[in-house]
Amino acid sequence: MASVNGALARALLRLFAVQGSYNYERLLGVGVGVAEEPLLRDLGDPKYRPAVARGAHFFNAHPYLIGLAVGAAARAEHDGARPDQIERLREALCGPLGSLGDRLVWAGWLPFLSGLTLAGVALGAGWIAVAVFLIVYNIGHVALRWWALKAGWTHGARVSIALHHPVLQKALALLGPAMAFAVGAALPLTAAYLSAPFDSWARVALAIVAALSFLALRLRGDRINGLRLSLALSAVALVVALIWP
Amino acid sequence: MTLALYRIDDRLIHGQVVVGWGQPLDVSFIVLVDDEVSSSDWEQDLYRMGVPPQIEVIFASVEKAAELLPGWESDARVGILLVGDIDTAVALAGRVPQVRRFNVGGVHHRTGRKERLRFVYLTDDEAAKLRQLAARGIEVTAQDVPTARAVPVGEFT
Repeated sequence: MASVNGALARALLRLFAVQGSYNYERLLGVGVGVAEEPLLRDLGDPKYRPAVARGAHFFNAHPYLIGLAVGAAARAEHDGARPDQIERLREALCGPLGSLGDRLVWAGWLPFLSGLTLAGVALGAGWIAVAVFLIVYNIGHVALRWWALKAGWTHGARVSIALHHPVLQKALALLGPAMAFAVGAALPLTAAYLSAPFDSWARVALAIVAALSFLALRLRGDRINGLRLSLALSAVALVVALIWP
Repeated sequence: MTLALYRIDDRLIHGQVVVGWGQPLDVSFIVLVDDEVSSSDWEQDLYRMGVPPQIEVIFASVEKAAELLPGWESDARVGILLVGDIDTAVALAGRVPQVRRFNVGGVHHRTGRKERLRFVYLTDDEAAKLRQLAARGIEVTAQDVPTARAVPVGEFT
């Protein structure tokens, strides 16, 4: 390929839009196909068109790790893998990339940094904490997308080698407990920060409501979820604020 | 316990299975029945990566699954059995009378398939095979996550 890095950079830029392609028929498949296309251009006829079409078949995974599938499938196309092998590779990557990405980002990196940021705001860092969050989160986010795309392109069908990378495994092992610590530290600090303007009796009332909400979610988690409960409590708070003498 | 869920899902092991069903059912093992995956080390390696270490993953061909299924049914732990397509489900049910139910959890778009539900796309032939399974007394429903309604086979085929 004339400029692999150029094609990878184009693929990376397109990957930022991958979630915009979501639909129930192919989930993220069309976005994946669009992102893969720059890496397939030099295949030439008659391979190019079927390869692009394959790239846009049904696919779903974590958006930050999806580049791994894009790179791996494109590499497999270049290596002359059979179409059914490429289909199986894509199918086999859906689950692990979704599961790993959820654990790494949605249950790790994002709540970990959110917890630290909330604690930072509560301790007086203000907007600086928010700015640091945005910068650090996105450095990790873009680095992960770029690593995934490069690793997929490097390993092709042997992409599981990349998923066994020690840094990734270490991050998976550490981010869960780190997230729990950060969120655990942020909760009381944030509660104290947010309730500071209230009278002491109101703070006691808030603590009681929080404890009852926690119990309700624990005991009736089948019928209540955090979002519904928060919306209901917000509605009650608005009504009380309006009719309070 | 037993195999708490027999699921047809073309994504096989993924978050909806591991977290969506695995957590409420307190699953300790997942059986993945697929002739090709059972003989492919790299695919097994990938599927294992999507599962937390405390959950055992067993890979089996249809033939092996038919032989070992009574043992999984009498296992003290709770398990989920997964197949990737309707043909595998039909083959397994044909060999093992203990298979009494199938949950269609995700069969997605391919050429020739029509949308039946948001997460179920079937060819007419596949729909007919599901109805035949039901006619043999097997409970066939479509349900992607535990909190959704289990849609009876008659409503989506």
